[in-house]
Amino acid sequence: MDAQAKLYEIPKARAIRRRHRRLPAWTVSWLQILPLTAILSLMFALPTALFLAVSFFDYDRTGIYPAFLLDNYREVFTSSSTLRVYGSTLKFTLVVWAITLFLGFNIAHFLIFHVRNGKVRIVLFLLCAIPFFTSAIIRTIAWIPFLGRSGAFNQALMGLHLTTHPLDFLLFSDFSVVVAYVHLYTPLMIGPIANSLSKIDRSLIEAARDAGASRWQTMANVIIPLSKTGIALGSILVMTQVMGDYFIVRQMSGGQSASIVSALSTEIQAMQYPPAAANAMVLVVIVAVMVGCLMRVVDIRKELVK
Amino acid sequence: MDARYDVELVSVTKQYGATLAVDAISLRVPKAGYCCLLGPSGCGKTSTLRMIAGHEGITEGDLLIDGRNVTDLPPWARGTAMMFQNYALFPHLSCLDNVAFGPKMRRVKRAERHRRAREFLDLVQMGDYAKRLPNELSGGQQQRIALARALIMRPRVLLLDEPLSALDPFLRVRMREELKRLQRELKITFIHVTHAQDEAMAMADLMVVMDGGKICQTGSPYEVFERPVSAFVARFIGGHNVVPWRNKLIAVRTDQCVLEPPGAVPGVRGWVSNVEYQGPTVRVGLTTKDGLEVAAVLRDDVFKQRPLSTGDEVTLSWPEASAHHLAA
Amino acid sequence: MVDRHPRQNPIDARPWTFYALGMLFALYMLFLYGPMLVIYTLSFQGPNGGVTFPIVDPSLDWFRDVWRKGQMADIPAAFSRSMALASVVSFLTVLISVAGGLAFRRPFRGGGVVFYIAISSLVMPSLLVGFGIGLGFQFLGLQPSLFTSALGAQLTWTLPFGLVTMFAVVNRFDRSWEEAASDLGATPFQRLRYVTVPILLPGILGVALSAFTLSYDEYARTTLTIGARNTLPLEIYALISSQTTPMLFALGTLTTAVSFLLIGTTLLFLVQTQQRRQWHRGPDVEPVGAWTRDTTSNL
Repeated sequence: MDAQAKLYEIPKARAIRRRHRRLPAWTVSWLQILPLTAILSLMFALPTALFLAVSFFDYDRTGIYPAFLLDNYREVFTSSSTLRVYGSTLKFTLVVWAITLFLGFNIAHFLIFHVRNGKVRIVLFLLCAIPFFTSAIIRTIAWIPFLGRSGAFNQALMGLHLTTHPLDFLLFSDFSVVVAYVHLYTPLMIGPIANSLSKIDRSLIEAARDAGASRWQTMANVIIPLSKTGIALGSILVMTQVMGDYFIVRQMSGGQSASIVSALSTEIQAMQYPPAAANAMVLVVIVAVMVGCLMRVVDIRKELVK
Repeated sequence: MDARYDVELVSVTKQYGATLAVDAISLRVPKAGYCCLLGPSGCGKTSTLRMIAGHEGITEGDLLIDGRNVTDLPPWARGTAMMFQNYALFPHLSCLDNVAFGPKMRRVKRAERHRRAREFLDLVQMGDYAKRLPNELSGGQQQRIALARALIMRPRVLLLDEPLSALDPFLRVRMREELKRLQRELKITFIHVTHAQDEAMAMADLMVVMDGGKICQTGSPYEVFERPVSAFVARFIGGHNVVPWRNKLIAVRTDQCVLEPPGAVPGVRGWVSNVEYQGPTVRVGLTTKDGLEVAAVLRDDVFKQRPLSTGDEVTLSWPEASAHHLAA
Repeated sequence: MVDRHPRQNPIDARPWTFYALGMLFALYMLFLYGPMLVIYTLSFQGPNGGVTFPIVDPSLDWFRDVWRKGQMADIPAAFSRSMALASVVSFLTVLISVAGGLAFRRPFRGGGVVFYIAISSLVMPSLLVGFGIGLGFQFLGLQPSLFTSALGAQLTWTLPFGLVTMFAVVNRFDRSWEEAASDLGATPFQRLRYVTVPILLPGILGVALSAFTLSYDEYARTTLTIGARNTLPLEIYALISSQTTPMLFALGTLTTAVSFLLIGTTLLFLVQTQQRRQWHRGPDVEPVGAWTRDTTSNL
């Protein structure tokens, strides 16, 4: 009985000595978020402010000089190549967005609503997601031996006697650029949309059926409205990736097309920092506007945090 | 093809892979009646309801609604409407749009379907909440909207899946009255699934007790309570002692039992295991030497005349006429 | 009118959309993995073969080429740099984003600002991030290097990613486990060490893995912040512009193999832990709820 009593004895001495003050809850949160805030401020916020400043600087062949000039911006807005490059990039962005949305939604729908076995669903989902975590460079150039004139696809087509001449437009064209983008970025649509779809209460769909909704009516009236957030999130991810790309478009178009960022990188390599910075700021503003519009559809913070 | 009945199940079976959820049950629900499917968890009552609704396929057997064989028809072609256990109100639509959903699917024009929806909102006394969203409503209010949404389809049969389990006791009693009233007014058949026997007894015209995928007994609440068919039904319906007596199994209502000093009269001897004060009555639980648990429900003045406490030895006895033979 | 014959009820049958979408999925799988398979096969190209089919006497020559320290590229050195950087990035990301995820469990002042900074960092065009950091370093007269500027640049990508992942993980965490621990006498540190972190471990591993692979393959943020000595993706990038031989394919095969190995082992470990933690439902649970999911697939 004695040993047992000891087990349940409240350690009195400790209770008196330990008079530590408990930190208020929000201080704990601040401390926990401090490293993240510090690094992102230092490595993201400050540098952005920096090239905002530099965008107003003056420059010549030898160097750059602090100033407050709007010349760089004027150049950006009046240059015809700017318009061309923006037009091209925006065109790709829209086309890729549409295709990845179609593919992403249907695949997510298949995985969430048509696959009945939970384990199979996870396996299939992983199959879709894993390529995203391998090298994008390799996955892009993998298309070259596939789509080229003497590439695997053309050889297959000719072998099956579907064409006599190899198809030219497959590689180093707008087509190949879009193909590469879709190949790389569809997982970014599948993830958020699948997440949204899985949160839809099944009984809502049954209730719609019960009220007489056909398959398409259920889709239009119940499923799509309730997956808006996933669609918006996926769209943000895909669009910003395409708008910020400089490698894929150059590779897959054979140097014919340029993107906003690839034009920028040329200026950076030539050490023309102020105009590059101005270009960069314009891009940042455009991307911010796009993301801002999409965020009206979904309150991202509410969605992600809780 | 008997048009006397709104719903007829003919040897209906539901099999999920290797599990037999519903085993060849047959049932006839008379026109414009209130039918309750009652049973413990896993007895197959919800599967049966969902088969009638068309949200589960019928593995074997036939289902007739108003004389038509609807076994293979989808939910909207059957003349049924379902009220879901969690209400399943569309979170992105207002109450009005929720109720107007069915007509919208039938392509009724906006003005017309909104007018009809308001009619049904008034029927369930939720007319003022037309513009609200479901998450702004309490549980009881959500239920009425779900009801209105189902009724606007003018179903022949309304199916309710445990409609009252999520409500607090006072609301539950109120909703019981309302559902009964609605059923009488609308003159359609309600099929109501529940695991609470007091609910089923209070509301049903036809009570169906199920267990293990089979129907144990059908009848009016009076019939089932007075003449339970088996020990299971007697125990599940409550208020009965199931006792082996003179080589037979009998059921006796607990409120018709009396407690006498040990050995004074023929009966079941035991020790008091607990005394529960219930207001107008007192429930005294006994355990016999064989471990059988029985009880007697005594009027409070009767109990006061001879108060008992835990451990007292008594004999449980009953009038001959109250004993009801059980088949199994 | 009443007949009896067992048949598959059309309500339970698979709708035509299942087959249509299934086909689409299968085609997507081909689309996703096809080109990679072409590269894997072409890595075994013979020494005299070109960058397309047919394969002229299959050999391992190009694989051997990868290891040789050529004039254009030094693969082994770049590889070790990539691994080192990725390890550091992964470690830091785990520490910082786990703390961040825990911070957001309660609302706190400034939480919104931090959240939007993180999201902005995520969607910002990668090259611009590198540009900003590179500029900054130049102005400060510092040399960009592997574990300073490049590390910082990669963190701007992995930290928001990790943070968002941690949100999902932490949301599934039941506060009452921590309360029970306190109740039984655990100090806050003990609670963290013996309850919170072990339960969150699968999620934490996920963050570690994704941070590692994202860093290992990162090129856009790294290119302007790396300094003179390249990581592997940048070596590959340099090789593409200078020469296209099957050596590139062999390199691609190898680097993807490394990624798959890492992902595979981590997933296996995760699956094991999840299985052991799976709560087993008792027999008294109504089975119908589980089947509700089935019938709604008739869409």
